[in-house]
Amino acid sequence: MKTKTMPSLMVEETEDRTLLAVKDLRTWFELKRWGFISVGFVRAVDGVSFDLKRGEAVTIVGESGSGKTTLLRTILGLARPTGGEMFFAGRRLNGDRGQMERDLTWLRWQTGFVQQDPYGALAPFMNIRRILMEPLIINKVNKAEREQRIRESLEEVRLIPVDEFLPKFPHMLSGGQQQRVVVARALLLHPMLIAADEPVSMLDASVRVEILELMSRIQKTHQLGVIYITHDLSSVRYFSERAFVMYAGKLVEKAECKEIVHNTLHPYTQVLLRAIPDPEPENVAQMRDIPAGEPPSLIHPPSGCRFHPRCPHIIEGLCDVDEPPEFEPIPGHFVECWLYKDNGSPGTE
Amino acid sequence: MTRSTSRGAQLATDTVEDLTRGDGPILKVEELFLYFRASYGVVQAVADASFELGRGRTVALLGESGCGKTSLARAILRLLPRNVETYRGRVFLDGRDIMKFSDERFRREVRWREISMVSQAAMNALNPVLKVGFQVAEPLLLNHKTGKQEAYDRARDVFRVVGVPQDFMNRYAFELSGGMRQRVIIAMALITSPSLVILDEPTSALDVLTQAGIMNALKKIKHELGQSFMLITHDIATSSELADEVVCMYAGQIVEHSKAERFYREPLHPYAEKLMASVPTLREDKRLDFIPGQPPSLFDPPAGCRFAERCHKRFERCAEDPPLFVHGDETVRCWLYEKG
Repeated sequence: MKTKTMPSLMVEETEDRTLLAVKDLRTWFELKRWGFISVGFVRAVDGVSFDLKRGEAVTIVGESGSGKTTLLRTILGLARPTGGEMFFAGRRLNGDRGQMERDLTWLRWQTGFVQQDPYGALAPFMNIRRILMEPLIINKVNKAEREQRIRESLEEVRLIPVDEFLPKFPHMLSGGQQQRVVVARALLLHPMLIAADEPVSMLDASVRVEILELMSRIQKTHQLGVIYITHDLSSVRYFSERAFVMYAGKLVEKAECKEIVHNTLHPYTQVLLRAIPDPEPENVAQMRDIPAGEPPSLIHPPSGCRFHPRCPHIIEGLCDVDEPPEFEPIPGHFVECWLYKDNGSPGTE
Repeated sequence: MTRSTSRGAQLATDTVEDLTRGDGPILKVEELFLYFRASYGVVQAVADASFELGRGRTVALLGESGCGKTSLARAILRLLPRNVETYRGRVFLDGRDIMKFSDERFRREVRWREISMVSQAAMNALNPVLKVGFQVAEPLLLNHKTGKQEAYDRARDVFRVVGVPQDFMNRYAFELSGGMRQRVIIAMALITSPSLVILDEPTSALDVLTQAGIMNALKKIKHELGQSFMLITHDIATSSELADEVVCMYAGQIVEHSKAERFYREPLHPYAEKLMASVPTLREDKRLDFIPGQPPSLFDPPAGCRFAERCHKRFERCAEDPPLFVHGDETVRCWLYEKG
């Protein structure tokens, strides 16, 4: 059996349990006038660091335009980082150009991508068999194995009986079933990491939980690393153990989900939490306390802390001048905010 | 004001029903049906919808995609596509049966005057080459009775109500953020001071903070102007921000109509129960549930209860089509509540 197992896989077994290490990652997009004069950069991802252990699931929460999708695309090798380092299973990823290409082929074997809009992610003119065959052909899996892998992954996502689904086209499936096909496709190459960009935001409430449970079961059985992206803080807990809050290209708070919800440190996260309703009839009587303003431009981000123009706890002369480094006031709970510079108690709320 | 005089003129010509105006429900829908013709057969988009909405109250129309929420709203506003197969029932607005109105009279007297609508994703449909101030004032300008100055003054008023700075009157749509554009659309729906505003997914494409801002604005309008709203959404958590009562739809039928206090705590219909159990909550730690299977096809809905196939409380009776049962203040389409 000709399987493309890379020699480097053997090396990693001796290494630590870190699957993905991202250090000070930057992805800036150059803005050009008349096609060649550089007029600035869109700092979509600007100094992001985190670790992901093997078999761990993390969630990145942020509003649209906060750079969360760009971060994911950079990790998957779909966008080229402009600075910082990435280590995937012990391998440094962004070397010189030639190295990068070789790394990418390997990286794409090891990662699966679950897109946001299942209907847009599945070619309408291909049936399910062909859709799932495609990545196997591209990655040169031998013919005998293809069919078997397709069946395995369809069974994994509970699209059974498999034979009934194989000849169908995407439009013949419901949204939930389409999303299962997308998940099945991400699993085909037996990756170590699954990246999911808002996997359930296009689905109905009653179907969402089913897909979430499916993904978390797959994650546990295969010990997969999973990065979820969502804008919905209330569902974070059901995705993963840890969550990162992203604002204007930076991860402003990193902690376990329970900590984020019940012991919120960063003012932005606090504001975000206040804005989210639970389905309670009392909501009718209360106004939500939300700050004025919009997320900042990523071309000319504010000096100092990027949240300072909207922050209710701004420290004049500090927050608007210096960018806050990462503090760890509580072990395992990281926050980029000057309020915690003495590692003291929050002093808010 | 021009409006009150025109209303006075109508009173003389209208039928006796007009006399009930003023204290009854603002909207009363009775046995409304809307079927569409399609190449495969007939789509039963709305089947036998009946409900009432009190003055100054907000009803949230909840349900999954494809359950007929938007079709019901469009049936009320008579915004119908060409392939309508059946369109019948009674819709009383302020005591007048507006289903009896001719299309022309409906257009002149009801649509946008009495009932206006914020359509889904309408914020992306603003005219890019006209200033938003003009677009908001347009419904009044077209109605010849209002002068230009008066219309713009009124537009400035509604801009204030929805929380858009007044100098935005002279801006174009592309100069506004998504949240501001959505507010402009809401202003457009409010400018004629309609009796009822239908909001179709007003916040679904917006960010969490923007969404909360819009909801705040709508709450303010509701409390200050006593505006009646019909809120169509699939986002149950957000709907609780505005709803006094909830109409829950499944497969083209209204399955439950309850007060908000009842619906968000312990809904009656098994479908609503499961739906509520599938909503993730931020503060409370609960185990999420989901509904196995899929909603039935509206081409050929199953005989009997349409939810029976996926229902966890199914029993023999469910093979028959359940009518709406009254259970206390609530109505529910389920045999479990036959005894009342």
